[in-house]
Amino acid sequence: MPLTNEHWQRVKEIFDAVVDLPPQERAATLEKNCADDTTVRREVESLLQSDAQSDGFIENGIAEVPRDLLDRHDDDSAIGRQFGAYKIIREIGRGGLGTVYLAARADEQYQKQVAIKLVRRGLDTDDILRRFRNERQILAQLDHPNIARLIDGGTTDEGLPYFVMEFIEGEPILSYCDTHNLSTTERLKLFRKVCAAVTYAHQHAVIHRDLKPSNILVTAEGESKLLDFGIAKLLSADDALFTVTMPALRVMTPEYASPEQIKGGNITTTSDVYSLGVLLFELLTGERPYRLKTRTPDEIAHAITEQEPTRPSTAIARSTSTPLRNLKSLRGDLDNIVLMAMRKEPARRYASVGQFSEDIRRHLEGLPVLARKDTVAYRASKFIKRHRLGVAAALLVLLSLLGGIVATLRQARTAQRERVKAEAISGFLQGMLNASSPDSSLHARDLKVKDVLDEASKRLATEDLSGQPGVKAELQRIIGTTYFSLGQYDLAERNLTAALEAQTRIYGEDSAETLMTLVPLATLWGGAKGEYAKADKVYRQKLSPLRAAQKKGTISADYLITALNGFAILRRAQGDSKQAEMLLREELTFTAQVSPASKNDLGVAEAVLALILADQGKFDEAVAIVRKKIAAIPQTKGETPELCAILTGFGSFLMEKGDLAEAEKNLREAETVYRKLYDRSNMQLGDNLRLQAQAFYLQQQYAEAEARINETLEIYRSATSPQYINYATALVVQGLIYSQTGRPTEAEKLLREAVQLRATNMPETHFLRATANGALGEFLTAQKRFPEAEPLLLASYESLRKSQATNSPRTKLALERLASLYQAWNKPEKATPYRASLEANAKSGVSGPAEPGKSEHF
Amino acid sequence: MISPPPARENVTRVLLQWSKGDQEAAARLMPLVYDELRGLARRYLQNERKDHTLQATGLVHEAYLRLVDQTATTWRDRAHFFAVAAGVMRRVLVDYARAHRAAKRGGALEKIEFDEAVALTPERHVDLVALDDALKDLGAFDSRQSQIVELRFFGGLTVEEVAEVLEISPRTVKREWRLARAWLRREIVKGETNAVNE
Repeated sequence: MPLTNEHWQRVKEIFDAVVDLPPQERAATLEKNCADDTTVRREVESLLQSDAQSDGFIENGIAEVPRDLLDRHDDDSAIGRQFGAYKIIREIGRGGLGTVYLAARADEQYQKQVAIKLVRRGLDTDDILRRFRNERQILAQLDHPNIARLIDGGTTDEGLPYFVMEFIEGEPILSYCDTHNLSTTERLKLFRKVCAAVTYAHQHAVIHRDLKPSNILVTAEGESKLLDFGIAKLLSADDALFTVTMPALRVMTPEYASPEQIKGGNITTTSDVYSLGVLLFELLTGERPYRLKTRTPDEIAHAITEQEPTRPSTAIARSTSTPLRNLKSLRGDLDNIVLMAMRKEPARRYASVGQFSEDIRRHLEGLPVLARKDTVAYRASKFIKRHRLGVAAALLVLLSLLGGIVATLRQARTAQRERVKAEAISGFLQGMLNASSPDSSLHARDLKVKDVLDEASKRLATEDLSGQPGVKAELQRIIGTTYFSLGQYDLAERNLTAALEAQTRIYGEDSAETLMTLVPLATLWGGAKGEYAKADKVYRQKLSPLRAAQKKGTISADYLITALNGFAILRRAQGDSKQAEMLLREELTFTAQVSPASKNDLGVAEAVLALILADQGKFDEAVAIVRKKIAAIPQTKGETPELCAILTGFGSFLMEKGDLAEAEKNLREAETVYRKLYDRSNMQLGDNLRLQAQAFYLQQQYAEAEARINETLEIYRSATSPQYINYATALVVQGLIYSQTGRPTEAEKLLREAVQLRATNMPETHFLRATANGALGEFLTAQKRFPEAEPLLLASYESLRKSQATNSPRTKLALERLASLYQAWNKPEKATPYRASLEANAKSGVSGPAEPGKSEHF
Repeated sequence: MISPPPARENVTRVLLQWSKGDQEAAARLMPLVYDELRGLARRYLQNERKDHTLQATGLVHEAYLRLVDQTATTWRDRAHFFAVAAGVMRRVLVDYARAHRAAKRGGALEKIEFDEAVALTPERHVDLVALDDALKDLGAFDSRQSQIVELRFFGGLTVEEVAEVLEISPRTVKREWRLARAWLRREIVKGETNAVNE
């Protein structure tokens, strides 16, 4: 029986601690935790035993509610009763407010059957009764061959109003069409009869509001009859969305309700246009317009308000239920007609049911129709608006968009005007894709984004674009740059290279198209891929054409800025910080000219410049830039990603300079803002934490360092691939931390993984290969495995000596590592030349950082 | 403007009052939600064919859609609503089970069994009245655990939704759920054994 509160808390703690342990380990843990308390122990053991048998117990909740729950037949009393001249025979249906009965004339003068609708008992409040009478009034005005007629009405002895209506012996429209094997044309004609009835009602100021297949019967003569007209309006007061009339539906659904009905907005005649659109969709395809998993009302409501309906031709193509296989006739006009009726915004649908029906007539007669496809640009903008935060899920829409853009671009074959439009569309697509990149402020779940991209490139491969090779290349470029921003470097390279090849063939070597592809490709080669020679060649050959194209206005200034920046960083990596500096200064001047407003972009470039100046030992100037920038930070507009980038950039600069405390301060400030702006899995946050880990490592605060590097790796693993350039760096950091904190086995595993990654992804000469080898060498030195360390450290130094300036911190570090190795190995004579090089460096007049090269451990 | 169900305006208003800190709002919400769920359940059962199964989860979500003006409310209000609706489901179902049990003079041995969705083994039935009693006992010394069970079992809420309602982490929900389940199962089995032995 219940224990004391204190006991229960202990039981909880111990249960939680033990329950996931393998049985053989449980006993020991139990022994340890409650040796002193047999009551608690017995309770925990008993609960563990029960837990072992609890699999499935109450796990699925109340799945099924008993059938006879609350099943009181309080309306049965109506059967056999007489209303006016009519006698109730049996119940034929129920709605929220009323019950419908089959009745016949009691005098049996002639065998006329009618339907009688009666307010349900318990619902006969004044308000409902008043509305019930009003509706009867409305219905009385409607006299149309395709509407079930109101015959009579009255009040029961208890004062409850009732309607007597024409009793329709017919079949619901969907099953009628299927059982009679109606062709598409016949279905369209029948549908137009329904439209005629609805139009008639609209002319009498009655909106149906509950149009659905079960409310439309077709008689043996093939006449459609609309039921519940006007009553639907009354019923909507209570349950327009959920009236049960389709017994086959397992869960009652509001699938025919318009978005404005779901949202509680204004209901107009165009709401009926929407519902008729859904009906037509189903008539033509045998499918529902939205792809749903669970069909819960929540999901349906969400689909109606947010999801773009499937194209009818697509639905029919995958349908298994419909006898119709006339794909061709659906594609084009009918697709457009149905989708126009079903647009989310009432104002963008057909203005009236009459217009809708008229468009179908035009289609039937082979005339051009009014309905046009939504423009891709429109859909994309909607998409972005709706999914500002949920990009991963939303990107699924991209798939349909891609189909759309291809078609649109294909149509755009001739006119220049169209070409401009196509470019705008492609810009949209690009923006959308980029918006999902981890660099953006959106919360991206990259794996899913990647799935979408994979699917997109698969589609692109199968899409027949033989007439439009330029379009295909453009899409490959977009997909390539997006893979790039996701850290999928191989896929990025493959797509960009393919695009480049095609564009060079089509447009020529220095065309705008080619240049626009070359810039990201060069960035990729010079950065993540470490293909310096290739990148270098691109920059050397293409900077002039880029400058020219920018001047002519055929490419945007962004490309030139990116290229200058990329080249600068490349030159720095190659040890030529002089040229790097020149390029960056050009970039800064140029950026200030073309977009003086983008102070933040300048800030990032300046952060890089500070790093470069520091490389050259021009610390005073570098520090001046940093101070100016930091002073200007409060004026930059608020907490933006750019601010974070600046702070992080300076943090990294300050670390290089050896000012670890200051570095840490900036990095932490950036971290705070990152955490406000981004999802936890943002890669920039990961980079920031990695830098912090480095700063703490250098200050020998290993616990702090470890916490941060663990989170970094968690982020990298969830957001990117091991190919990501900083992933291996993070492994090195973690490896060195482990090495310093007495976990050599794990440390070695990490460092070897990093070396392996660098070897796989970087060319032989890349300094990152050298630094990874150096870190492993340092570890092996600490483990006194000197013979193993030696070749690594020698190779590392040789490589850096070639690729880096002599006074580069990386070279210095390599020298130090070699000197330490031989010192520890007790071979001081071998250490001497390296020490000498270090001293020569120090004497060469270059004022080094306070603690030279420390940050280059990684 | 679509006319909302009569209770809709009320429910939405009460929810908003709750969000603004009106602690008695839950009590006022209860009868409104009760009527709705009861009505929904009835209409399902009376209008559907035999093959129909009535899903508690569906009921709760549907009641929410019908009763709450979602343009005026937030996820917090949604959480509040689900919390009440789960409690209501428990009342509706347990009331029914009790009435049914009372109607049959067999008394305690006569159990109303609820087939759990696609039940795989016949053991997966649960006596609602016994569960309700056990839940009350559990609630006496661990109200959070009993709430978690109520939300999951009677309200059909997912772990994440429960976490949202109670403002705790999904991990905590899972942990508490596991212990609560073990405890409840043990108590119910104990009760059954006693009943048989009496």
